[in-house]
Amino acid sequence: MENKEALNTLNDIKEMMERSSKFKAISGLSIVIIGVLASLVSAYIYSFMGDYHINTPDKWRTTAIIAIALLVVAFATVFAMSYLRAKRLNLRFTFDATMRRLLFNFFIPMVAGGLLCIALLTQHHYGLVSSITLIFYGLALINCSHFSYHELRYLGFAELVLGLIDCFMVDYALLTWFLGFGLLHIVFGILFMIKYERSK
Amino acid sequence: MIANLDGLNKAFESKIRLGIMSVLMANESVDFTTMKSLLELTDGNLASHARSLEDLGYIRCEKRFVGRKPNTSYAITDLGRAAFSAHIQALASFVNSQQ
Repeated sequence: MENKEALNTLNDIKEMMERSSKFKAISGLSIVIIGVLASLVSAYIYSFMGDYHINTPDKWRTTAIIAIALLVVAFATVFAMSYLRAKRLNLRFTFDATMRRLLFNFFIPMVAGGLLCIALLTQHHYGLVSSITLIFYGLALINCSHFSYHELRYLGFAELVLGLIDCFMVDYALLTWFLGFGLLHIVFGILFMIKYERSK
Repeated sequence: MIANLDGLNKAFESKIRLGIMSVLMANESVDFTTMKSLLELTDGNLASHARSLEDLGYIRCEKRFVGRKPNTSYAITDLGRAAFSAHIQALASFVNSQQ
């Protein structure tokens, strides 16, 4: 057996182990797009609130409705664009064990955090809602990074840290949302594209 | 050039069996259809290679019914994990000895 052949075999083994256990068809461009979308939406909310601080039930109701709509649009965007990328590059995109594991592990913290936020809002405890959304989103990314690109955990750490900082400054909800869901996504998405989607 | 090839396992010489073992090393259990599409194999091809690994005691085959459909899934055994690790080790030390 040649040296090269042994090396190729080792690489085949590694590639097969990765491909069978990790979901590797996420579109980097879609991450940039949801970042831009989130930035525009937070600028729009700021334009009629006139303040970073969201402090009345009415303002919270409006913000929550817009935020949930944004979440749905963002998720649909990532899903659809990842599907198109997978199709173009002939990557696996089937609802199999790999994708199920990724979604399951992503949604455990997301659902828990979402319910917590709903409970806080209905009891008129507004102060910590913005940080909780960021903290649980960060935990969701860290949790699911084992089943996809491992770099997702760095975005998760960044969201988590931002959320924790935000806990101590309740007056900047809109600003931290802009930084966390807007700017961080744009930066991460661009880095992701440089690493994985540059045409070779 | 005479190389030291001790420890390479004949059972993993075929690319297909190597693929099956790699997939099972990284996953708790994998069903027949997923394995087939991952390795791009035909039914018969996968079944016969899986059978030979099963006969060696390297993998375990579980057949059960999901609804009314038969469902076969594979998992690695402790013996298989040890044998495949030894094989990888042998390949790696071979590569290192050539450098």
